[in-house]
Amino acid sequence: MGRNVLNIYCLAVYAFLLAPIFVVVGASFNAGEFLTFPPQGLSLRWYFTFFENEVFLRAIGTSLWIAAVATFFSVIIGTMAAIHYVNFAGRYKEAVRVAALSPLLLPEILTAIALLFFLYDIGIGTTTMFGLLVGHVLMTLPFVFMNVSASLEAYDTDWSMAARSLGARPFTRFRRIMLPLIKPGMIGGALFSFVISFDIFTISLLLKSIGTATLPIQLFDYLKTNYTPEAAAVSTLSIVATITVVVIVEKVIGLKMHKF
Amino acid sequence: MSQRKTFLLLLPAGVLLVVFLAIPYVSVFISAFREPGQGTPYGEGYTIANFTRILGDWFYVKQALNTMLIGAVTTLATLVIGLPVAFQLARPDLKLRGLFYGIVLSPLLVGIVIRSYGWTILLGNNGVINRTLREWGWIDGPLPLMYNTLGIVIALTHVFLPFMILPIMSAVQGIDPSVGSAARSLGAKRPTVIRRVLLPLAMPGIQSGCILVFVLALSSYVTPALIGGLRVKTTAVTVVDAMIDTFQWPFGAALALTLSVLGGGSVLIFARLTRMKWK
Repeated sequence: MGRNVLNIYCLAVYAFLLAPIFVVVGASFNAGEFLTFPPQGLSLRWYFTFFENEVFLRAIGTSLWIAAVATFFSVIIGTMAAIHYVNFAGRYKEAVRVAALSPLLLPEILTAIALLFFLYDIGIGTTTMFGLLVGHVLMTLPFVFMNVSASLEAYDTDWSMAARSLGARPFTRFRRIMLPLIKPGMIGGALFSFVISFDIFTISLLLKSIGTATLPIQLFDYLKTNYTPEAAAVSTLSIVATITVVVIVEKVIGLKMHKF
Repeated sequence: MSQRKTFLLLLPAGVLLVVFLAIPYVSVFISAFREPGQGTPYGEGYTIANFTRILGDWFYVKQALNTMLIGAVTTLATLVIGLPVAFQLARPDLKLRGLFYGIVLSPLLVGIVIRSYGWTILLGNNGVINRTLREWGWIDGPLPLMYNTLGIVIALTHVFLPFMILPIMSAVQGIDPSVGSAARSLGAKRPTVIRRVLLPLAMPGIQSGCILVFVLALSSYVTPALIGGLRVKTTAVTVVDAMIDTFQWPFGAALALTLSVLGGGSVLIFARLTRMKWK
């Protein structure tokens, strides 16, 4: 009996988790002018409206570009830090971990304001995309660090010693032993980093320069004044794209969620 | 490799975190004491007026207290809703475990703006819930679900539920299943096993989940801004208004610092009360 109650309770929670997502997807096929339920007939008209709306297309472009560049830097910086953390940090291990995770532990809104003041003080301000990129690298770094260090923890330093005693040079040891072992962690970290960057809001809102609104910002701006289902069409495409990428990566390399 | 060479691995992350995180935090702390500027983000002199303005105005104090309340209720709601799910997901014999795990993770893959948007469609006066209830004849006028604290809490609970479920789940997974059977073979009833054995062992996960959700809820902007509209504003929304709309940078910084100190203080008290070891 107790088990059935638990199962029903959990199913209700899963329904709660999926409800807003389903509603958005459903609303995107609405044929009417406004968001109404039940929809006034099915249609793809809002998808066509979206494909002609340059503002959203440009925002998607900006988001993709920032996510790609930020992920590139995050993966390099985060992987190096994770290698140091697992293998060489010694008694500073805890300090390195807290530092690497600190962007996640500090409130995002305060970090955004802090960066804004700093950029203004050093004279860059928000005239370039530099600040936006730095913010995104900071916020995605912890995810790369966590993923790579988790896959490195499984790596036995004895293997490296064995290779060394067999005459392998440091670079060969890195390329032939460590790299294959941390590759899944790096790919998982990169994926997380990309998805997180695509969703960063407060930092992007405060640090964006003119004309560099990311998709979440553009969508938010649109929702403040418009009620047409176009926003639902944009959202649905973004959901489908994210899930497709995650599922493909999961199938190809067997993603492990090392988030916590 | 020598000590010096391995240190190079840490250099890029170290430079990034010191230059673009530690130094900006020092500068934001100083800037909160700046005078407001004329046409510039901040003026030349220093003052404590930004803080006395917050503490002396019941509007800001009340708003901060309401924001803390929203954070606390959201944390409690995610805990009550998430705890049984975390326990269920941690069972290795669960059928369709991958699917359920995917459902728990799915909100994380859907942007926070999109999720909040979904809630505006559900909760609005002409939204799915109100319309359905009216068609069934259960209500005459719309229930006030949006533009108030209740709506914000409902949406935030959804947005941050995965951050409660996942840490508890990993803590529960680490528990040896034989612990439960041992307690039962010694005559403990099921509720006793849960209360005396499983919950204490899951406690580290519960604690980190609570802290995570509370901090995230306090500083969240998108959800309160979309669901609360112009009628209910949290402190984070007022902070962004001050930064972007009214261009009062020092005041915005002071308000954000106040909120962070209140949040950090609450976390410390919570950790002390639940006697958590910082790890």
